[in-house]
Amino acid sequence: MLLDYDRMGWLKTALLGFTALVAAFLLLPVVFIVLLSFGSSRWLAFPPPGWTLKWYQELFADPSWLEAALTSARIAALTAILAVLIGLLASFALVRGEFRGREILRGLLLTPMVLPVVVFAIAIYAFFLRLGLGGTTIGFVVAHTVLALPFTIIPIATALEGFDKSIEDAAIVCGASPLQAKLRITLPSIRIGIFSAAIFSFLASWDEVVVAIFMASPTLQTLPVKIWGSLRADLSPVIAAASSLLVGLTLALMIVTALLRRKFKT
Amino acid sequence: MAGEVGPPSRDKERDGPVVPLRNPGDAMSVETEQSIATMRMPAGLGGLLPALTLIGLFFVVPVLALLLRSVTDPAPGLQNYAALLGDGTYARVFFNTFLVAAVVTIVTVLVAFPVAWMLAIMPPSLASVMFGIIILSMWTNLLTRTYAWMVLLQRTGVINRALMATGIIDQPLPLINNLTGVTIGMVYIMLPFMILPLVGTLRAIDPMTLRAAALCGASPFQAFRRILLPLSLPGIAAGGLMVFVMSLGYFVTPALLGGTSNMMLAEMIAQLIQSLLNWGLGSAAAFILLIATMALYALQLRLVGARRATGGI
Repeated sequence: MLLDYDRMGWLKTALLGFTALVAAFLLLPVVFIVLLSFGSSRWLAFPPPGWTLKWYQELFADPSWLEAALTSARIAALTAILAVLIGLLASFALVRGEFRGREILRGLLLTPMVLPVVVFAIAIYAFFLRLGLGGTTIGFVVAHTVLALPFTIIPIATALEGFDKSIEDAAIVCGASPLQAKLRITLPSIRIGIFSAAIFSFLASWDEVVVAIFMASPTLQTLPVKIWGSLRADLSPVIAAASSLLVGLTLALMIVTALLRRKFKT
Repeated sequence: MAGEVGPPSRDKERDGPVVPLRNPGDAMSVETEQSIATMRMPAGLGGLLPALTLIGLFFVVPVLALLLRSVTDPAPGLQNYAALLGDGTYARVFFNTFLVAAVVTIVTVLVAFPVAWMLAIMPPSLASVMFGIIILSMWTNLLTRTYAWMVLLQRTGVINRALMATGIIDQPLPLINNLTGVTIGMVYIMLPFMILPLVGTLRAIDPMTLRAAALCGASPFQAFRRILLPLSLPGIAAGGLMVFVMSLGYFVTPALLGGTSNMMLAEMIAQLIQSLLNWGLGSAAAFILLIATMALYALQLRLVGARRATGGI
């Protein structure tokens, strides 16, 4: 009866208790950082002696934080667009194409997800130094697109595998051109996959630390690089304020995703 | 020195993506004779071209150039590898890296299994709350999570104070700048990657097999050991291998939560390149990490196939 939720007896209680503990463990740092950002202690005493908004004021008073956030947003948006387009084309070929070595090619395109980022980071750093692309927006976008590509191929290919191709063929039989059929029938049907791909690839770039640390220049740094630099200097509560805003952004993204999924499904 | 390395490998690779395309192209023409549907599919393989160009030019070429550098910088030969493998300091880094990855994997599996088990059979409303928590933790900025652990695990941090207040310890435990801190931070990051695929494995098990075991007189423990555990073993192996591989090359968390005396491999590579500008040694170390990772990835592909190996996001 180990897979019967209603008949597990004391074992269910024990396992549910353990699951609740793990939930608390997963929530602890996220909740903690938000509380900390409103605490008045510069030395991060917890529970804080009082509550304040001064870390947020300090954060917004320093233009370099906003600048870094805007740089990150720009690079992540460009990365998401590029990775979704390339991933979409590749997914069609990987799912629909009938050719030898398909699994090997799929494996190759997904390798950037498996290879330790630090190896790719120093490799692309050396390569871009030679091409003069280090510390440029193009360099960032290209490197991040390589890393984000697997995160677009997986959801789009999965969605495409679940789509019945005969519907697309029916549209063609009814007089649509193959391209029309793809744009008006297939793409709307796999939009959940495309949407997930956009979110994942945006996050892959937005949160990326290791390549960014190597690629950043004094004039071009992303938000993770800015946080990394501050972390190495000290554990200032301003970082907690910046982090809390990021947690808020994550929550907003999750809610939007959940709402859109519900809308797509009905 | 840099000029010698780049161009030859770049040329070699430029042919790389083209070769596999030629044969499948032929195969396609055979295919089109057989099925009209295939003929209607434009750009069957052409669709792969942008992706292969991107990965070939900006992933395969740079990584191969790095490999070349490890055997040519500062002079041709294998002296970089000899230096890495023969030196006690570096050997310690390798040992630390494998030790932490192994401990993190074991702890993650032990913690993730009961949670995935419950998630697989829980009422959907309860499960969606838990999934929400898992995804919130997974999607929260990596540096944010690590920063939180840096503050929590400090000598005067919340965890030490709580433990001392309850009288469990009377001296603060050293929880940060050592392998304990790294392990806690890494398990935190890896848990979702283990739980989510395991839920899929456990959901695929037919509850009837366990009911049959119970009817045949198996005790719950026997049913667990002889049926539930063996049936979920492929999921455990695949997830565990993924966690192990990810842990081997992890940079951020060990760099922030670990100490200087017990560095891990990724941090050492970054330091060799960024601070010491020792490209030869740095790229040789990177290549050892790459080989270890790829060997384990190949093993995982063997176990579960390309789709499952990288799935579960």
